[in-house]
Amino acid sequence: MNYPVWEVPIIGSQLVIAIIAIFHVLISHFAIGGGLYLPYAEMLAARRGDREWRAVIKKHSKFFLILTGVFGTVTGVGIWFSIGLANPEATSTLIHYFVFAWAMEWVIFLVELTTIAIYYYTWDRVSDALHIAIGWLYGIVAWLTLVLINGILCFMLTPGTTWLAVAGSGQEIHVFWHAFFNPTYWPSLLIRTLICICLGGVFALVTASRIDGAAQPRLKTDLIRWSARWLVPTFILLPFAGAWYLWQVPAVQRHILELGFSTIGQGVFSVVTRMSLTLVLSVATLLVIVYLLAYRNPLDFKLGAAITIVVLAQAAIMSTEMVREMLRKPFVITQHMFSNGVRLREVAADNTAGYLARSPWVRAAERTAWAALDAQGTAATNAPDYKPQMLARGELMFRGQCMACHTMNGYRAMRTLLAGRDHAGLGNLLKLLHENKDDSPYHAFMPPLVGTTNEIAALNLYLDTLAAPAK
Amino acid sequence: MPDLKKIGQAVYGWVNERLDLDPVIEHARAKTVPVHKHTFWYYWGGISLCLFLVQVVTGILLMIYYRPGPDAYASVREITYEIHFGWLIRSLHAWSANLMVAAVLVHMFSVFFMKAYQKPREFGWWTGLGLLALCMVFGFSGYLLPMDELSFFATKVGLSIPGIIPGVEPIISKIVRAGPEVNEFTLQRFFTLHVVVLPLLFIPLLAFHLFLIQKHGNALPPAERLKPAAGRKTIPFFPNFMLKDLAVWLIAINVLALLAAFYPWQLGPQADPIKPAPIGIHPEWYFMSQFELLKVVGRFLPGVSGEVAGIGLFTIGMVLWALVPLFDLETTGGRRGRAITYFGLFMLAGLVALTIFGYFDLK
Repeated sequence: MNYPVWEVPIIGSQLVIAIIAIFHVLISHFAIGGGLYLPYAEMLAARRGDREWRAVIKKHSKFFLILTGVFGTVTGVGIWFSIGLANPEATSTLIHYFVFAWAMEWVIFLVELTTIAIYYYTWDRVSDALHIAIGWLYGIVAWLTLVLINGILCFMLTPGTTWLAVAGSGQEIHVFWHAFFNPTYWPSLLIRTLICICLGGVFALVTASRIDGAAQPRLKTDLIRWSARWLVPTFILLPFAGAWYLWQVPAVQRHILELGFSTIGQGVFSVVTRMSLTLVLSVATLLVIVYLLAYRNPLDFKLGAAITIVVLAQAAIMSTEMVREMLRKPFVITQHMFSNGVRLREVAADNTAGYLARSPWVRAAERTAWAALDAQGTAATNAPDYKPQMLARGELMFRGQCMACHTMNGYRAMRTLLAGRDHAGLGNLLKLLHENKDDSPYHAFMPPLVGTTNEIAALNLYLDTLAAPAK
Repeated sequence: MPDLKKIGQAVYGWVNERLDLDPVIEHARAKTVPVHKHTFWYYWGGISLCLFLVQVVTGILLMIYYRPGPDAYASVREITYEIHFGWLIRSLHAWSANLMVAAVLVHMFSVFFMKAYQKPREFGWWTGLGLLALCMVFGFSGYLLPMDELSFFATKVGLSIPGIIPGVEPIISKIVRAGPEVNEFTLQRFFTLHVVVLPLLFIPLLAFHLFLIQKHGNALPPAERLKPAAGRKTIPFFPNFMLKDLAVWLIAINVLALLAAFYPWQLGPQADPIKPAPIGIHPEWYFMSQFELLKVVGRFLPGVSGEVAGIGLFTIGMVLWALVPLFDLETTGGRRGRAITYFGLFMLAGLVALTIFGYFDLK
């Protein structure tokens, strides 16, 4: 625990990331899909000499510029702030190991934003051919941002055996490309590209829905049907791409999908059931709704229906991202770093020397007092400062190892989860978490509890105060 | 590759020869649905129907494993934690019940504000109110069935409220509760009510309600009625509106599935009649406004008189609400029509405010 803990009441820091990311993922994928849609649609309009269609594309580019350039950028920066605060250890690791990739990503972001601004502001100011070329340049550059970020995102789930073999040795830079083009890289790139194409069509339906069907029936029908077809490749190829992706995920992580939630009160409702239910249903609904409301009845297609389709797309993406995140549990970087920032290779050392041994948040006086108590063994319990010192120590353990995922009273609330447990019951729970055996119900979802016996005893005392607060 | 269109036509032809479906299709094609800025509200009746169908299917599946009587809690526990997909079915049933009441309420207020209860649609309004009342009884009777702590005590409190009216308590005790306290016989009776009596009342009433809608068609809101007939837009019911309606059903099912997956319905600890009621016991949200009304009136008029006054006030409000078609006869607006719209707004605001306030008022 080299960094301070970012405590967000009620919702917790992880949910802050999720809330920002939900919107960012939608907008950022649209930024790529729309980047392919705009020049292609403009090119077709130019070939057909269809000025009406071109006028709508121009209008759509304004909506696109505002949504992606403002909302996409702001949420992107928001993600950086939130992950840096919520998971500083993991963020630092990703920056250090992928510094070159990040540098490229930010240069390309700059080019992307500049190009889309040029594209929008050069409507009717340069030749059609040049304008279309600028559009294609934007589309390619936007897709390159995905090419780069995809490597880093996939690395977190599947860093690969080559990288894991050298992790922590200082030699990681020599296996950069192995880490970047990791096992799930290509299927993930395919899935995300398909989602981008789908969203290119979905958002175009929003603009097309606003065309007056009574005044321009041909234009509205053409544009809505053409935009709806953008969803087809995704729905045909996505199941295959999804299967390829899951096939590349290590079996031990894939196993999480088969597990139920018996430990947290969800019965035998497995992750895979949830995934099938939410993902398949939302995707199928999206397809049927687009067919029934847009393709079959283009002239009746209104803004409300278009927004419903965007919301459904959002639900489908949210389900996919939830599953992807779940696959990584209990790690933030699989087989390397747990979700609370503890590194797998440091577990043994933390259990022997102490989790708080290297912590910069322990005062020298506290360190001395704790060492003195530890030296006294069981007799320490009679010392006058035993309880306050142990509670302070337990709180640091709690903040460092629990608060990355839990809150006190809100999301994954500790007070609720611990309610009704007595000191011995909490001790058993901590023992289960510390031993982290393969058959432990928490093994697949939670990091092991690390620390010395005395540190865990301190945590036990501190948790007593949460389970049954003093009146 | 077989020609699916030809096969479909052949199948339809075979069925049509025997059942004479052409007139039905023709009728559906000739039927139109008005298109205006309030068309959105036309879908809420369909959404309610869709959720009712989900209730029927999931309810039948739950009945396969549910055992009313002393094993009720254990059987719901098995459904929730042991039987594959039992959790999902229970969650879908519980969520669709709540969503159905919400959809029916939205439908009712949209009908009210569009003045779709006016001649010749009075019976549509009354049958709709009857269906809403039955929905609420469905909810009340179904709520007890898991026999967990919350459902047990909420039912106990719920049954005690009408009991304060002189003469009512013995009836409740004898017929509904089967004794002075909620017990396993109460459960048996609630189960019978939930799966036999209520469906027997609900389905014919629903059929009559749907028949009336087919007979009278969709009502126009007052502003549309003032337009000349030539200025009104319509779309064919079949296939245009029906396909849209199906799309909306699919969205409703999607919302339901998301809720069931992300917020699965919980099962509390087993009810223990000897234990005191847990703090903050409260009825389901759709009874909260009535519950809160009693509490508010009770603050001004403590004791039985307050509770009787609260029930009386609520009853008067409901009677006025039901009789609205009889005193709002002006079809083209006017002072009385506006006054009735304000009455509707008052009822809506009261319902929402009392429900929200009810949750803040829990102790």
